[in-house]
Parts: sequence; structure tokens; C-alpha cells
Amino acid sequence: MSLTAWLELIASGLITGGIYALVALGLNLQYGLMRILNIAHGEFLMVGAYLTWLVQTQFGISPLLMVPVAFFVLLGLGVVLHFLCFRRLTATSPNLDVFEARGLMVAFGLMFLVQNAVSWLWGGDLRGYDYLTEPVKFGEVQFAANKLLVFFLALVFAGALIVLMRMTLLGKGVRALMQSPIGAQLMGIDTKRLHPLMFGIGLGLSGIAGALLSMAYTITPYMGQPYTVTALIVITLGGFGSMGGALVGGLFLGVIEALGMHFTNPSLKALLSYVVFIAVLLLRPEGLFTRKSRKA
Amino acid sequence: MNSRQFLIRDVLVLLAFTGWALALPFYASEFVTSMALTCLMYVALSSSWGLFCGSTRYLSLATSAFFGIGAYTSAILLGQFSWVETIAIGAGIAVLVAIVMGAAVLHLRGTYFAVLTFGMTELILHAVTYFEKTVTGTVGRVLTVVPERDTIYLTMLALALLAVATSIVVRRTRFGLALMGIGADEQRAQTLGVNTRLVKIAGFALTAAFAGAVGAAMAVRWTYIDPHTVFNPFIGFQTVLITLIGGVLTLWGPLLAAIIFSVLAESLRLQFPQIYLMSLGLLLILCVLYLPGGLASLRWATFKDWWNDSRDWARDIRRELSGEKEREKQRLKRREKESHFV
Repeated sequence: MSLTAWLELIASGLITGGIYALVALGLNLQYGLMRILNIAHGEFLMVGAYLTWLVQTQFGISPLLMVPVAFFVLLGLGVVLHFLCFRRLTATSPNLDVFEARGLMVAFGLMFLVQNAVSWLWGGDLRGYDYLTEPVKFGEVQFAANKLLVFFLALVFAGALIVLMRMTLLGKGVRALMQSPIGAQLMGIDTKRLHPLMFGIGLGLSGIAGALLSMAYTITPYMGQPYTVTALIVITLGGFGSMGGALVGGLFLGVIEALGMHFTNPSLKALLSYVVFIAVLLLRPEGLFTRKSRKA
Repeated sequence: MNSRQFLIRDVLVLLAFTGWALALPFYASEFVTSMALTCLMYVALSSSWGLFCGSTRYLSLATSAFFGIGAYTSAILLGQFSWVETIAIGAGIAVLVAIVMGAAVLHLRGTYFAVLTFGMTELILHAVTYFEKTVTGTVGRVLTVVPERDTIYLTMLALALLAVATSIVVRRTRFGLALMGIGADEQRAQTLGVNTRLVKIAGFALTAAFAGAVGAAMAVRWTYIDPHTVFNPFIGFQTVLITLIGGVLTLWGPLLAAIIFSVLAESLRLQFPQIYLMSLGLLLILCVLYLPGGLASLRWATFKDWWNDSRDWARDIRRELSGEKEREKQRLKRREKESHFV
């Protein structure tokens, strides 16, 4: 294989990996902070994608403008959902184990609800629109412009979240809550405000990912679930609750998938990611990149 | 009631249910019979699921894996073996897979276990698809030798009965108590001399045996199967759903929920499939939020609580809207100030 072919292969892996990282960051925020394993996460990505598609085809507004809109719409949706479902769940669950199991069930319910609501409203067909489809050349290597833009924006937003977590007081509060919920509450961190907000930001990130995806790929009401599963794999790779781990894990999985598909065969893609997933969960349940071990 | 009276009651209810289900195909229409068949399938699946996962609180999503394994066994073997043998072999293979899977994943708890079993199901689904694509060349199989409708119905009835009866019996044995002990506190059960690893694997295998047998019996009903229909994770979700909505720890809750669900499914699914699934999701959320013990835990007091809760909530809203809350706060503040002067 020539150098350009290698470069193209790795770059295409990184592009899908960027989206994986963005979805995984949102899921990780929800699981790491609140222990809500939101299996419906991918469905909200799909909602973001449909929102962008709808506005683009109906009013001709640039999908780039829709990225922040999708973020804020889904952030609002997330806050409302947290208010309706998870607030009561936190109040009524006797301990964290029970909360986790019930939260998972509620998320399954949300998955059915959202997926079928969208397929009921718009039907199960493939949808899409053209945006920046002309190729861009870097020397010998060439990419579709929309995919490059998607990758770039995905990295920007992922980076923004990580900076938010590391640098600001809000991020410090969130990290403190992750480390020790009771300790953080004793220091005056307001769980009642932070939890809905962070749940909303998690959904908002998947909304961004959806808006970005709709620029480069076709969308269906059933596109969400594979991304949820991939995001689960990524946060297992990176370690539950670790933001940097999710970013690196996402890019890593994208490249693995691209290489694996090239050298074996495309129908093995799903098989490959599940093998990686199960192997990691069984052998290193605390994540590949974490040093400190946590009880699984 | 003491425990013997409970046993007598359970057996009597089971007998009545059997008599009714046995008579059904002779007087009811084709449509009702097929609905009853789906219902029996979910009774068998959810009772056996609740037997292990309800008492130990291990949330397994692998039901569809065992179901699919059973279905594929039946599709491959039915020409060469008799009907009963095929079902037994289907159950046997599911048990073998469950033992291997259980040995690998049963040391993990909670969400990890749920996610892993889901992942394993998908892995088996994709592995079978890939195998079919590359080795046999086609995806999916047609079942040519199919037993009569009544045979399928009676087999399913027998399996459902067996599942509920096993559930009744296991609850009264040391094995059942060990499962309950693991659910309450695994470490304590271990300290008290329960070999938790063995008990968990045995329980998991028991669940798998039923799922495998049901899959083997249902495959002939569809006459054409492919990996995506028989390994459909939805079968696993729906089993979990029915058990949760019915009441995980109860004997009759899953049965009740299975009846409600199959009626709902058959009447809504063909015309409005999305609305059926949406209502399923909504029901699940509402049930987890407001009725965590399931339908079987529904008592007159539950309605009273709901009524009181909603009345309190409405009163709060009214106070808020009429400004009474604000005035009360100001009154309190004024009183505080006055007490300072004194």
C-alpha cells in the first residue's frame, strides 16, 4: 500500500472517530456524573440530524447555522426530560444500584418513544441533502469538503467541552461531583441545578453530532442505535467518566474500524467493534487509558 | 395465609389457567388463537426470565440470543429429528451457550452485566449473519417440514406451564432461596455458604433453556427465519418490559402483563406499528417511575397515594399562582423583623 492510501485510510478513520468521540463525550457526561446510562443517546443524535435536515430543506438555512440551534434545542429537551423523569427517579430510588437499573429502563423507554415518534412523523425513508460535496486536495490526498468540516467541528466541540471541564468553575464543580457526590454537596455545589444542566449538555452534544452527520451522510430514524452502541464501546475503552479517554477512545475506534474494514471485509465491521467491546469489558472494565483502578 | 395455602392457591390458579388455554383453540377464531400463542410465548419467556433475573437482580438482555439459537437449531435439525427432540436440542444448545457466557460475565454486576449481555447478543447476531453470508451464501432459512398448528399451540402451552410451575417450585427450594439471597446481598450469601458462582450459572442456564425451547418451537410458526428476526434484541427488551411491568418478584404479574401486551400488540401492531412501540416506551417509563413494583403490586392504596400526590401537587400550583406563597413569605419576613425590634 502506498503512503497516500495509508494517509487516506487513517484520515477517514479519524473523521468517523471524531463523531464517535463527540457522541461518547455526551454519554460519558451523563453516565459519569449521574449514573444514567442513556441508551437513548443515539436517538437524540437522530433528532438533531432530522432537525437540521428539516430546516435545510424547508427554509434553505445553512446547516452550519443549525449546529448551535440543534445544541440549544436538545439542551432544553434534556433539561425537560431530566425534570420529568430522572428527578423523580433520584428521589424515589433507595440506592445507586437501583437507580442505575431503573434509569436504564427509562432510557430504553425513551429510545422506543423517540425513534418511533420520528419514524411516525417522517417515515422510515433515507433522507439527505447536498452540502459542500466538492473534494479538497492536499497534495496527493483528497477528501470531501463536508467530511473535513465535520471532523474539524467535532474536534472543536469536543475540545470545548474538555476545556470547559478543566478550566472553569462549572467544570470544577462537575468534576468534584463525579469524584464524591456527598463531599461536593457539602462544599455547596448545587446538584439540583448541575444535574439537569449536564444532562442537557450531554444531549446537546449529541444534537451537534447529529447536525454534523446530516451534512455528510444520509439519515434515517434508525441511525441512532449503532451510534449509541459505538459510544458505549468508546466510553468503555476510555474509562467511564473520563473525558480525555472518551476523545482518544473515539478517534482510536474510528481508525481501528477503518483499518479493520480495509484489511478484512466491510460486513465484519459490526462484529469487529463488538469483539473489541466485549474484550475490553471483560479484561479491563476500568478502561484502557485509566491508571487508577475503580471497582467495577 | 401460610405458605402451604399459597402453594395450593398458586396450583389452583395454574390449573384454571391451563384448562382455559387448553379449550381455547377449539372454540375461538384463528386470530384469537394466534394471539394466545404469542401470549403463551411471552408467558414462558417472562416467567423464566423473572425466575433468575428478578430474584438475583441481574438484568439480562440476552434472552433474544437464546431464543435465536433455539430457532436456528430447529430450522437446521427439524428434518432429521422428531419435534420433541428438536426442541430439547434447542434448549440444550442454549444452555451450553449460557454456561459459557455466564462463566465469562456473571462476575460483573448491574449496568455492566446488562450492557455486556446486550453486546453478546449483538455479537452472536452478527457472527451468524456473517457465517451465513460467507459459508452458506444466503441469509435466512425456509422451514419446509412444519408440524400442525395444534401441535405448536400445545407445545407452547406446555412450555408456558412448565415455566410457571418451575417458578412455583424453585421459590420453595434451597436453590430459589440462594437466588433471593444473591439478589439481597451477594457477599452475605457467599459468607453464609452459598456457592454464588455455581448458583448464578445454574439460574442463568435455566432461563436460557426456556428461551431456547421457546425459540425452537416458535421458529416453525414463522416458516422463514433470518438472523435479524430471531436474534432481534426487541424480543429480549419486550421480555424484560413485560416482567418489569408485571412485577419482577411476583409469580402472576408477568402472566398478567403478557396477556395485556399480546392483546395490545396484536390489535395495534398491524395498523399503527409506531404508535404501538411509542405506547410501549411510554408505558415502560411511567411504570418505572410510578409503579416500580409492577402491576402485581397495584393495590387500592396505590391509587389513593396517586390521588393524594396529585392533589397536593395541584394545591401547590394553586398557591403559587394565586400569589399566596409570596405573601406568606413576606409575612414571615415581617414577623422576623418585628421580633428583632422587640
